[in-house]
Amino acid sequence: MDTLQFLADGFGVAFQWHNILFAFVGVVIGTAVGVLPGIGPMSGVALLIPVTATITSGMPTGAAAASSIILLAGVYYGAMYGGSTTSILLNTPGESSSVVTTLDGYQMARQGRAGAALAISAIGSFCAGIVSLIGLVLLAEPLSNVAIKFGPAEYFSLMLLGLAAVSGLAGKSMTKALIMTVFGLMLGTIGIDAVSGIARFTYDQPILFSGLEFLTIAVGLFALGEVFKTILERDEESGAIAKIHRILPTKQDMKDSAVPIARGSLLGFFIGVLPGAGATLASFFSYMTEKKFSKNPDSFGKGNIAGVAGPESANNAASGGAMIPLLTLGIPGSGTTAILMGALIMYNIQPGPLLFDEHPEVAWGLIASMFIGNLMLLVLNMPLVRLFAKIIQTPKKYLIPIIVAISFFGVYAVQYTTFDLYLLLGCGVLGYLLSKNDYPVAPLVLALVLGPMIENNMRRALTISNGDFSIFVTKPLSLVFIIAAVAWLLVPLLLKLRGRKVIINEEG
Amino acid sequence: MNKKFDRFSGVAFLLIGIIFLIESQKISDSAYGSSVGPKIFPMGLGIILIALSIRLLYETFKYKTEESKEEKLQYKKFLIIFGSAVLYAFFLEKIGYVVSTFLFLLIAFQTMERGKTVTSVIIAGVFSFGIYYLFSELLGGSLPGFPLF
Repeated sequence: MDTLQFLADGFGVAFQWHNILFAFVGVVIGTAVGVLPGIGPMSGVALLIPVTATITSGMPTGAAAASSIILLAGVYYGAMYGGSTTSILLNTPGESSSVVTTLDGYQMARQGRAGAALAISAIGSFCAGIVSLIGLVLLAEPLSNVAIKFGPAEYFSLMLLGLAAVSGLAGKSMTKALIMTVFGLMLGTIGIDAVSGIARFTYDQPILFSGLEFLTIAVGLFALGEVFKTILERDEESGAIAKIHRILPTKQDMKDSAVPIARGSLLGFFIGVLPGAGATLASFFSYMTEKKFSKNPDSFGKGNIAGVAGPESANNAASGGAMIPLLTLGIPGSGTTAILMGALIMYNIQPGPLLFDEHPEVAWGLIASMFIGNLMLLVLNMPLVRLFAKIIQTPKKYLIPIIVAISFFGVYAVQYTTFDLYLLLGCGVLGYLLSKNDYPVAPLVLALVLGPMIENNMRRALTISNGDFSIFVTKPLSLVFIIAAVAWLLVPLLLKLRGRKVIINEEG
Repeated sequence: MNKKFDRFSGVAFLLIGIIFLIESQKISDSAYGSSVGPKIFPMGLGIILIALSIRLLYETFKYKTEESKEEKLQYKKFLIIFGSAVLYAFFLEKIGYVVSTFLFLLIAFQTMERGKTVTSVIIAGVFSFGIYYLFSELLGGSLPGFPLF
């Protein structure tokens, strides 16, 4: 019953008028971010952190954190809805988890069924959002109760597992992903050591004492990296946008997609809970599953509605599922959740098992707002889809410079130093070069966020054991995590050696 | 895959690892009450990065460079926008947010695509003044507003 009481309190938070507004703004911007090709959920969320930080600056910490995270999470799952729009209408995915949707979605649009495809993906996303939220509500308490018994050794190993999971699946080369992870951890050591108070790698520059700001690096790597890519590599202007005739799907469409939606939601949720396996993988798996279960698999790729309904549900369910390890364990499983975690840490709120005890208004307020947000998205995406489709036509000429200006404003308004602006520009160039050459930047950001925590837990564990490193393998739970982490890195390698094709996750 | 870039970055990361390792030796390792000082973690990271970058360099000898299509990158556009962004950062505190943002946007709009000067001026003006007004006047934030003479 406790859970229900907490959930009710959460709705109390979510129904405060400003939080309803925040959720609404979040999902609207999220949908726009999903629709605009070039801005993914990661850069969308990163760009908005400073904006929300300034808007909420007058509120008490807990309430400010709750409101910001409501908005930012809204951007995250809103982008999952919006990403399908361009996939269907333009054959260009707005973000990477909608790649699969282009296969059947665009074919449907060419047959004049764009409206039905868009409606089904909105309905599927809504069902999936609700399914993953119910899972979140059911699993949150028990999981955080388990996690609360963890000692520093267990935490250290668990975080290693988180890093291994994201690096093991990201990008084309695991070596590069691991280099990015280690590099991120290194950047995290710059500044004054929290335990001993000794300055590390600061070279007497006062600006470095507090370390490199996570926000500047994330905005630079993701948002500016994308911007520079767009400026340098002029994308081919895509063809005509498919017309939307009728929005409501037919009865037959609904019947055909009910089962795929249910399957996609469950599958996506469980894939989302696994760290490292993000929404892209979920939508891909769902597509394969639907093809396998279908009576005529040949119709896939030619406009089968199941090929839209399943994957679109799966990628939304995955983004809900990914909130579970973030909120209960404090381990973000993907680039976007790492950015959300960084945002919470900016408010001095530590995601993890204690979150539900110490800041129930943040945890449950967020969960409750996701119910409301999903409902808003359904309403927005059904009747207003024509309006959102117009966003595609925003000229890049204006969009690109404005993104630069927004990131400047955001970083400066939070940091008040021009040093961070130069750092921002530097990270932008780095972000462009790295991701162009298949160095995934998501593990870097994740490592930057987790780095200080990993180090502190490591040192606390070693202090307990008097410097004996065996503490990490003699504690049974910690051993399990370490074995899992090693397996996560080795299994894909072994599969590759045996000539199996390994699915890689290109999303962050 | 770009072999040249990978070799270059392999060497760069190798150097970073070595520098990190050497520099971490300078961090004092005394921290009372604890047998593990602030030095261990960076030192370990340095060693791992060295190992990984050697592995990366080794990998670049194994794969063949894929036929990459010659892309025409728009360096000129990029350099103008990047340069004006650096100037934007430099002048932000000196001539204030509104003027520097307006100028940056105007230059960047015109660099992206020539023409439609009036629209560019309007959008740049509305954005720079709008953000400043919303943030400083309505929300009470602080931005260096206008040049101080």
